[in-house]
Amino acid sequence: MSGLLLMAPALLLLLAVFVWPLLDYAWLSLQAQSVFTGLEQVPVGTLNWQRLLADGRFWQDAWQTLRFAVVSVALELVAGLAIALLLHQRWRGRGVARSLALLPWALPTTVMALGWRWIFNDPYGPINGLLQLLGLATVPFLAAPELAWLATVVADVWKTTPFVALLLLAGLQMIPHDLYEAFALEGGTPWQGLWRITVPLLRPYIFIVLLFRLAQALGVFDLIAVLTGGGPASSTESLAVYAYLNAMRFLDFGYSATVMLGMFLLLLAGAAALLLWRRHTEVRA
Amino acid sequence: MRVSTRAGLVALLLLWSLGPMLWQLYTSLRTPEALLASAGGLGGGWTLANYGAVLSGDPPFWRYLLNSTVVGALSTLLTLALAIPCAYALSRRGGLLRLLVGGGLLAAAVFPYVLLFLALLQVARQLGLANNLLALCLPYAGLQLPLAVLLLQAAFAELPPELEESALLEGFSLWQRLRWILLPLMGPAVVSTGLLVFLFSWNEFPIALTWISRSELLTLAPAMARIAGSSVYTVPYGAFAAATVLGSVPLLALLLLFQRQIVAGLTQGAIKG
Amino acid sequence: MTNTSDPATATAKEHTTATSLRLEGLCRRIGGRPILDGITLEVAAGECLALLGPSGCGKSTVLRVIAGLDPCDGGRIVLDGRDITEQKPARRRVAMVFQSYALYPHLSVERNLSLGMELRGVAPEQRERELAAVLELLQLSALRRRRPAELSGGQRQRVALARALLRKPQLMLLDEPMSNLDAQLREELRPQLRAILCGGRAPAIYVTHDQQEAMGIADRIAVLEDGRLQQCGTPQELYHHPANLFVAGFIGRPQINLLPRADGTVVGIRPEHLKAVSSGGLPVRVLNREWHGASQLLLLESEQGPLRWTCDGNQALGDGLRLDWERRHEHRFQQASGERC
Repeated sequence: MSGLLLMAPALLLLLAVFVWPLLDYAWLSLQAQSVFTGLEQVPVGTLNWQRLLADGRFWQDAWQTLRFAVVSVALELVAGLAIALLLHQRWRGRGVARSLALLPWALPTTVMALGWRWIFNDPYGPINGLLQLLGLATVPFLAAPELAWLATVVADVWKTTPFVALLLLAGLQMIPHDLYEAFALEGGTPWQGLWRITVPLLRPYIFIVLLFRLAQALGVFDLIAVLTGGGPASSTESLAVYAYLNAMRFLDFGYSATVMLGMFLLLLAGAAALLLWRRHTEVRA
Repeated sequence: MRVSTRAGLVALLLLWSLGPMLWQLYTSLRTPEALLASAGGLGGGWTLANYGAVLSGDPPFWRYLLNSTVVGALSTLLTLALAIPCAYALSRRGGLLRLLVGGGLLAAAVFPYVLLFLALLQVARQLGLANNLLALCLPYAGLQLPLAVLLLQAAFAELPPELEESALLEGFSLWQRLRWILLPLMGPAVVSTGLLVFLFSWNEFPIALTWISRSELLTLAPAMARIAGSSVYTVPYGAFAAATVLGSVPLLALLLLFQRQIVAGLTQGAIKG
Repeated sequence: MTNTSDPATATAKEHTTATSLRLEGLCRRIGGRPILDGITLEVAAGECLALLGPSGCGKSTVLRVIAGLDPCDGGRIVLDGRDITEQKPARRRVAMVFQSYALYPHLSVERNLSLGMELRGVAPEQRERELAAVLELLQLSALRRRRPAELSGGQRQRVALARALLRKPQLMLLDEPMSNLDAQLREELRPQLRAILCGGRAPAIYVTHDQQEAMGIADRIAVLEDGRLQQCGTPQELYHHPANLFVAGFIGRPQINLLPRADGTVVGIRPEHLKAVSSGGLPVRVLNREWHGASQLLLLESEQGPLRWTCDGNQALGDGLRLDWERRHEHRFQQASGERC
């Protein structure tokens, strides 16, 4: 019983921070609370949910969020593995390089989002400066919808690849070196070793990375809020940004809660799918 | 891999990681005219005026850094104070409870917490916690508890049980066992967990953005967003860049000082999972 | 707890009278499986009892249940007339030396030893006095500032023992304290350990899987197998009158010869009790031999099965070898139950 007593303060705070909000949203999503109701709560049944299902912007944002998350995380995984392999080899200065490569991850997202905004600037940013030097036309990275979402992907990959690389590096360090030597003695090439030994043994680490990164990327907020503000024409808007705008700009709290709960349900479905896929691959393996 | 190939790849990696930051540094030291004239030019137009502008703003920029530091330090202490007993109790239990709580904690640790901001904001308004810098510690501690408990729990579980049993037979109380035996041995895990919590609190954006509106109470992340959205800092980006540099320096220092512990903390998290 | 004595008199008593330990039908189950099945034992003051058995027989569990580290699922533990079965470990006044020694790795030898006294509120002068005495006793004075990592295995074991002694326990428990030491060191330490454990006021229980160690250190040996007490007695009793086949086979090296008989019994005869005879007896053939210096061990084949024979190192061997033994050295057991006839 003393064990429960020791856990009680932490568990209470966890309930207050994680469980209470979801219950609150469930209640709020059945209310209208906006400037039209004088910010008072008025029960409206499932009206908010009907609106959500018919809300093109919500589904548009859901698609954009998914696209952003899948593309970023895929790139991060590939780049992260390559960096981890590079940092896993023995060479002088490896420790310093590990610290330096980790820097982008440690910085506040808002700080570097501001930095990237300057780098993507048209025409004064360094990329466009380079294009001008080469006599080419400048590119409006943040003003063109088809480019702006790629800019958010680049900034996100830059920021979070170090995290992925570090976790995978931890995994690489768990693989005994003998395995590679035995594999080489059997005539395997390093490239085959990567696919036959490294990747299969890294699987639990890859799974954890996917779990953390997909969840974070699907909830992307800071980066988009500062880098593009969701623009141009909400082409980079994520669900979290949309929910934020509903609450803080349109002052429509009932609908904002519905958006967030809807996003939560989508995430839950995604997590369930991921777990099922994992079990499926485990059974096959 | 050939040495030259590797050197090339390492150079590429460092260019990619550090380039954007170095570009900020460069920008922050240029006059507006120089920036508009030629991107990447080196001749003339060097200045410290951008830093002067940022530091003499209202409120001065160091105020945001101070606010973030205070919130980060207090959140870290609060998180550890709550997480250590919880992790200890969890690690000493077997069976279903541990599995359930552990699974719940993992789910909470990966949960995109931005979803929670509206309900937390309502709570803050009801309790009169809005525009209270120190009150930010409550949601920050709550949000970081899952990861902290998971990491510390793994560290507790790694200690040989005989150490605590031996202390138990010597007549140590629970507090004495934690204070004299267990926590000193968990030093590295406590430090790395604390650093991860501190980094989170320092960088947190949506909750600080919605809880704090008075500019002298802003923490770094919402202050940056406000700078980005305001016209106080005139065209083009010299002052923005000076702000990003100033906002980065404390974390760079932290990272270089505690690189080993941070890496260890992340690594433990991975092994745990 | 009907017979929990008044704490004040208990404190007065522990400084005047010696204590004894009684286990009554001790049981421990894990997931329904019995780990300890009704262990009943008594250890007198100043006596050292060895708990001997193969690994997994439950001998360490006995210690952990007595110390209160594992719960007791049945039976009673009576220490110095008090029923301590339900008492918290810290209040049992029991000290334990762990197999891994469990020294606090971040503390120096002297801090390892004095921290407990300090937290129990022992006055500084007395602390220093007792510390110096125990360091002297165990020849650790020169090592007092070292960390456990800077000590050899034998030194660590002595520190663990010193820490247990400083607890002034009413009962001393030792869980395979020498199993991490090399064979020669074990042999050297045995008399020292015996001198410290035996003859004190508190009883001691010494868990080991090594019968030589048990015989060398303990006054009595309790043999445990499968969570059950097989036999408890002096080393001589166990050797000369094993209560069943398990004890017969477990005690004594080289192992006893067991020859099944047609009447459903088994005859046990120790290798050292066989003698060469010129006529009669059992004809045998030598399969293998190990030379041990003063003696040699022969592995033999006979019509009644394989035999081990410890004989004089100079014993001449030949084809017509015949062996016999005196009937008084013979042990008889029921084949089915394993019990002594």
